[in-house]
Amino acid sequence: MNFAFLNKYWQFYLVGAKNTILLAALAVIIGTAIGLFLSLLKLSSRKPLRFIASAYIEFIRGTPLLVQLFIIYYGLQAVGIRFPDIPWIGAILGINFSDFMSGVITLGLNSGAYVAEIFRAGIQAVDKGQMEAARSLGMPHRMAMQHIIIPQAIRNILPALGNEFVVVIKESSIVSIIGIGELMYKADTIRGNTFQPFEPLLVAALIYFLMTYPLSKLLAYIERRMHSGERS
Amino acid sequence: MNAHEQLIQTIDLRKHFGSLEVLRGISTSFEKGDVAVIIGPSGSGKSTFLRCLNLLETPTSGQVIFEGVDITRAGHDLDLHRRKMGMVFQLFNLFPHMTVLDNITLAPIKLRGLSKEEAENRAMELLKRVGLTDKALVHPAKLSGGQKQRIAIVRALAMQPDVMLFDEPTSALDPEMVGEVLEVMRDLAAEGMTMIVVTHEMRFAREVGKRILFMDGGLIAEEGPPEKVFGAPENQRTREFLRKVL
Repeated sequence: MNFAFLNKYWQFYLVGAKNTILLAALAVIIGTAIGLFLSLLKLSSRKPLRFIASAYIEFIRGTPLLVQLFIIYYGLQAVGIRFPDIPWIGAILGINFSDFMSGVITLGLNSGAYVAEIFRAGIQAVDKGQMEAARSLGMPHRMAMQHIIIPQAIRNILPALGNEFVVVIKESSIVSIIGIGELMYKADTIRGNTFQPFEPLLVAALIYFLMTYPLSKLLAYIERRMHSGERS
Repeated sequence: MNAHEQLIQTIDLRKHFGSLEVLRGISTSFEKGDVAVIIGPSGSGKSTFLRCLNLLETPTSGQVIFEGVDITRAGHDLDLHRRKMGMVFQLFNLFPHMTVLDNITLAPIKLRGLSKEEAENRAMELLKRVGLTDKALVHPAKLSGGQKQRIAIVRALAMQPDVMLFDEPTSALDPEMVGEVLEVMRDLAAEGMTMIVVTHEMRFAREVGKRILFMDGGLIAEEGPPEKVFGAPENQRTREFLRKVL
């Protein structure tokens, strides 16, 4: 094994890792927002709203992420929808901003469906008596959700949500296919430049692991702290 | 205000769960200052009836008239009425993610527009009455069942309700903790609070209740002052029930 290429290419990994983190972070923010919204639709008492949420979730979960990426990247362009290219942000990131947004939005839309199910399960796991107590005090439904149900649901949700964050970091590698310069893309570039098929990818795998493993540990720690403060 | 003003009136209240008819037409009323105790075998519809009074359970048909307003009718703000009806649950339902003080002050601050300081001062006064000022800053998980239920009563009282609904408040408690909760309820009744209590505590019903309602099979089978219902029940079902529980 020969890792001498690192001397020349280590900065590629640095940029790639930075872009991966940025991509995943933005996707997770979008995914969480969409997921929360969809879960509330799904728990709504109105049937059409529940149907919309279910249709979205089932469609996303039933189709490959790669197909979704191509639909957003090629399909939307074909019908004349294009994310605006903002050159100065692109220059800072060292990538094409419009392409980058295709990746972020695909990952966000995709993650939203999974997050929605995580939220729904977490909200439904809160004891029914909590909502009754809140309503009996005269709180409107929305206020009860905000102050009583969702804070407790977060505790049920956090482990699965943390896991979803880890999944998004890993799955973000797929957007290398549309040329977004994230970690996988950079590793592939190095592979092509050095004609070494093995070592550059090993380094990329290690960097992915160094991102996901501490994150899982951190989330487990936060979860423990939340519990020790208020339970037992 | 008329001393005998009707606070809550129900007219032919019915509730079905699927094909099961839990309430089969209840018409009764509760006056200001009333301490009504609802007794009866399990499955008789006691809790469902109580939960229909603040519409936690939506009646299938019939009316609930609270302070002159038919709250079963659509198109008015139910939350405003619920603020005047405190409720205490069998399983306490304290908010586990908040301190005792926040449990008590959340609704008065958010719904009655009290300042945080004002709400906390009032909460501390109420806590003093139930002897739990030292628990203000702990989370409910650190409390015993009896303490939780006393806090739950305080939480409801903090909204300054016109009536308190108790849904089997001592049924989930260890026997040695029943007394401390009944004590609080006894004091409340003595202060003139209007109370509607579903309970299996017959001694409490007899000593504190001004009026006993015996429910059986989704109907009020018998009602009257405790001396009469306990001393000389007219209804065959009441006699059978009392023979079993006393």
